Amino acid sequence: MSVWNPENVTDVAESIGIASLNRDVVEHLARDVEYRMSQVLNEALKFMRHGKRTTLTTQDVSQALRLLDVEPLYGYESTRPLRFGEASIGPGQPLFYVEDEEVEFEKLINAPLPKVPREMSYTAHWLAVEGVQPSIPQNPLTDPRSAELAAKGSSANSTLAAVSGNDNIAVKPLVKHILSKELQLYFERICGAILDESNGEYRSAAFASLRTDTGLHQLIPYFIQFVADKVTHNLKSIFVLTQTMQLLAALLDNQSLFLAPYVPGIVPSILTCLIGKHLGNPALDGATTHFALRDYSASLLSKTARQYGPSSSTLKPRIARSCLKHFLDSHKPFGTHYGAVLGLTMIAGAQGVRTLILPNLKAYDLHLQEGMKDDSGKREQAEYVVQAILRALQTLQEDAVMGMSSNGHPAGEALRERLVGAVGQVVGGRVFESGREGLIGAVLERDPVV
Amino acid sequence: MAVQPAPPSRTESVGPASAGGMGTPTAGTPVGQAPGAGSNQNLNQIVLEYLSKKGYSRTEAMLRRESGSIAFDATGQPVTFDDKFKGRRWHEAYSVVKTWVDSILDIYKPELSRILWPLFVHCFIETIADCYPGEGRFFFTECRKPFDDEHSDDLRALSNVQEPEHVQQNDIAQLYRTNKYRLTLSKMGFATLIEFLETKEGEGGKSINFLINNHLDIRTVDRAAIGGVRGLQKLMEEKQGDEQAPAEDEGIHGHHPGSANLNPDATGALHRLQLAPMPMEIDLMDDVKAELNHEDSSNPPRPGRSTLVEQFEQRIKVEPSDDTAPSRDSIPFPPSTARDVAMEVQKVKENRDRFRIEGKTGGVGPGVSVTMITFHNTFDSVNCVEFSNDNILAAVGTAESYIRVWSLDNHALASPQDPPGFQPSSSRRLVGHSGPVYALSFSPSAAVPAPPTNGHTDHQSSSDSHPRYMLSCSADTTIRLWSLDTWTNLVVYRSHNSPVWDVRFCPHGHYFASSSADRTARLWSTPQIAPLRIFAGHDSDVETVAWHPNGAYIFTGAGVGDKTVRMWSIAQGTQARIFTGHAGNVTAIACAPNGHVVASADDKGVIILWDLRTGRLVKRMRGHGPGGIWSLGWSVESTVLVSGGADCSVRVWDVQPSKDTQAKVNGENGAAAKVDGPAVNGGAAASKVGKVKGREQSTADMISDFKTKKSPVYTARFTNMNLVVAGGAYLP
Repeated sequence: MSVWNPENVTDVAESIGIASLNRDVVEHLARDVEYRMSQVLNEALKFMRHGKRTTLTTQDVSQALRLLDVEPLYGYESTRPLRFGEASIGPGQPLFYVEDEEVEFEKLINAPLPKVPREMSYTAHWLAVEGVQPSIPQNPLTDPRSAELAAKGSSANSTLAAVSGNDNIAVKPLVKHILSKELQLYFERICGAILDESNGEYRSAAFASLRTDTGLHQLIPYFIQFVADKVTHNLKSIFVLTQTMQLLAALLDNQSLFLAPYVPGIVPSILTCLIGKHLGNPALDGATTHFALRDYSASLLSKTARQYGPSSSTLKPRIARSCLKHFLDSHKPFGTHYGAVLGLTMIAGAQGVRTLILPNLKAYDLHLQEGMKDDSGKREQAEYVVQAILRALQTLQEDAVMGMSSNGHPAGEALRERLVGAVGQVVGGRVFESGREGLIGAVLERDPVV
Repeated sequence: MAVQPAPPSRTESVGPASAGGMGTPTAGTPVGQAPGAGSNQNLNQIVLEYLSKKGYSRTEAMLRRESGSIAFDATGQPVTFDDKFKGRRWHEAYSVVKTWVDSILDIYKPELSRILWPLFVHCFIETIADCYPGEGRFFFTECRKPFDDEHSDDLRALSNVQEPEHVQQNDIAQLYRTNKYRLTLSKMGFATLIEFLETKEGEGGKSINFLINNHLDIRTVDRAAIGGVRGLQKLMEEKQGDEQAPAEDEGIHGHHPGSANLNPDATGALHRLQLAPMPMEIDLMDDVKAELNHEDSSNPPRPGRSTLVEQFEQRIKVEPSDDTAPSRDSIPFPPSTARDVAMEVQKVKENRDRFRIEGKTGGVGPGVSVTMITFHNTFDSVNCVEFSNDNILAAVGTAESYIRVWSLDNHALASPQDPPGFQPSSSRRLVGHSGPVYALSFSPSAAVPAPPTNGHTDHQSSSDSHPRYMLSCSADTTIRLWSLDTWTNLVVYRSHNSPVWDVRFCPHGHYFASSSADRTARLWSTPQIAPLRIFAGHDSDVETVAWHPNGAYIFTGAGVGDKTVRMWSIAQGTQARIFTGHAGNVTAIACAPNGHVVASADDKGVIILWDLRTGRLVKRMRGHGPGGIWSLGWSVESTVLVSGGADCSVRVWDVQPSKDTQAKVNGENGAAAKVDGPAVNGGAAASKVGKVKGREQSTADMISDFKTKKSPVYTARFTNMNLVVAGGAYLP
């Protein structure tokens, strides 16, 4: 009648030398053993609950024993759930034991060391934004309909399966986002207005509205989508690109909007306008108009990075990396290089110029010289790049440690030689020609002797 | 061998002394020939002979008639009810009442069914105490079914009680035996019960009557007259919703609802509470004002916004007149420093700039944003997760006795004690405890943003407002204070003699409260190694502790057997309120920032809101699955409650005590789901999912439900800017 078998009590009694035990005593003891065990388990459950777990561990049991003032059982520490083996010592007499793995000593010694368990770490994500759960991989499927469809199995209908995301096509169930009629209308009007080439007043009104309106939060993803769309499809039109950049600038200016979650969506568009290969149509707009766009994008990018860099630790390094990549790629046109240098200067500041641009100038000089030789428009473009590099070097001057400059440098041709040796023919020459001591000092300060 | 307990008192027992002796055979085995078994009959014979000899014929006839009507068993014993059933007498008595309650009129059913649980417990205990383990167990397994949901913990604790000495030792059994279980019945209900028991006197009615007299404390009320929550109509409604929840004045404490006065004759008057915020020090106030003035002049507010000084003054003035504030003299604090000024200034700024969350207006709940921080590769060894108030640090306490701290903005956690050449990383390990760490608490701090610097030169954000200390408590019965500047252990507080389950810093720092398995909560101040107050009164483990926002009260919640939430006054060291009504272990408590409402959650998935002034239950909120709600948090305006629990979800609740939504339960595609409207699609959709099982039905006041991916949520709270930060461990 009790779960604990009274036979066990008899066995234990015999093992300590009590030969015959009254039947009543045995049963009484068996019941008591059972009660004590449940008492221990009840205490152990408490420890499990406070460990916020759903599995009881051997640790919990030893803690419970300690709490009940009983010597804990040593040697049963285990981090994995224990498996129990069953052996039969006679008909209807199963014996349970902990199944321990048998390990050959020789093998264990010769085997490579087991892998170190992975370090505990954390990640952060948005579980909900303004009461709506975004459908990102970190969140579980929320739409009950798609779960229902998925449950029915993919065999029924391949299109249905594809819709429910069961097929290999990665279709994410869209979060239902409801926009009021007014907001939709507003969105359409704004988009129409800013792309209206003929009416400048209309455009500036739209930007002013974006800059100050407080109730636009729901529209942000749509605007960002709109910008991304326009940028990818209108690389030839400087006007459209400029307008979209201004749209982003207006959104960034708006004090009541919180753009941090959307920054990863904004940055690619700006980068495209900054270091895109061919922006605008040279035949229509002239060969150098795109530099203005690049300038504008660079300042926009630096503003974004300044504003949201602190909240996303990887934002600045990511931007800097892609800028550097494009700068070092000599197959890209000068426009791209111009944008990349601008981007690096704005994002990484003097520190970045010193560590990322300066060491690469010498190698880049070759490419630059080629460009300067060419007469067909390329020269003009290369000139822009040189100007950008010089501007970057100027930030060095502002950042430089003053006081130890000027006195160590030779004058005249020797100085020119040194500059050329440091940053290459073209740029070195320009720096020398500028004749500004601070700038020269800053450029040559590359390896400060401490 | 344990000392034999005193034989249980039996009112009508005339049978053999079957209650004595532990060697009593089990069911069915006949009781041995009692010493005077036959003598009773002989005596009758002698008397009859005597009467006929004397010629008292009429007396003789009377005696013959009377003695003839008494049935005699084989041994010549007169059979009474008790002996006929032996070990089954309590079982039979209980069954009689149970069948009667099941078939009674519907208006009495809800209230009378509440009496079955205490009767069940006592019948079981009596059977065991009478030395009938077999019958006891049979009765237990046979009749426990209806209580599985509500009383699973008590059932588990009682399930293996098999011997009279277990009854003596078992906490739950002792609790029921030494206290009177309080129950409120309507006058009519109680009268019908007594009437029924009298008619069934011979079939167990007497036994039940005995239990009611000795172990129950039944109050009768006129339901039609009082109305409201305890009214007749309310009871009928609850019956339709199939609600099984203890009333707030039910339980083994016998207190007046809300009052901590356990004296049954006490009046219903409640101890007056001081719920207003703690007044600010005069010096500090002046300093803060000066600082704010400076701030206003250097950074004038945008048109349409109030200045910081105006904000500050508004905040001080807002105090309602019907609340008294605790005096600073009764709770001394160390003099304020520049750091306090900086924190107060930041509070005022946040108060102005925060995203305000209004309550559920027009059926549409506010949209709440939740950031989830998930810990990976934990192997279920994380016991607790805690974020500092400035959201710069995250700490976890592990089952492996160490604490790990991360900086959430990837700054290196350096210490002046680092050896030269040491590269500090953004994470630190604090080693010192010798048992699993169960709770952590950061000292108060405020996120003072660093003055805007250009690009790469930004440094550790204003070092004077970051949290300086952290407390941890562990199964090794100690509480430890850690310095977050040197990352070392500063103080070990020893006084508890059982594992410490929870520790919380006072909202103003300096003091902290702890709760332990030794059934006490204690108050400490950081510079002293001995507790200042010991709060004793709970009948089981004190599972969790929380502070009132003004720092003058603490709340404690207890586990199995007690299940109460109690409110203690720091200054007096006494109980100010008791709240009963939870059916499971209380796992989390949080007091609203306005200081008038406290929310408590249990591991059955129920959240209860209590009004502090009246000491009454405001409402029950259901929706979480069973398994424990580990954390509760209030929005700064006290309009919205957020909860996170073992069912891998973060839920947002509306706290308005609205009558119509309270009783309503979200029906399948019903009106309640529609009320939520399109704006809270996530919530409405999720509550539909929850409908598959009857138990997971959620009440209509749940605004939204955000499920995580296999990550139980250990902590969820609002920041000062009303963003929810939740933390959990990913357990694939």
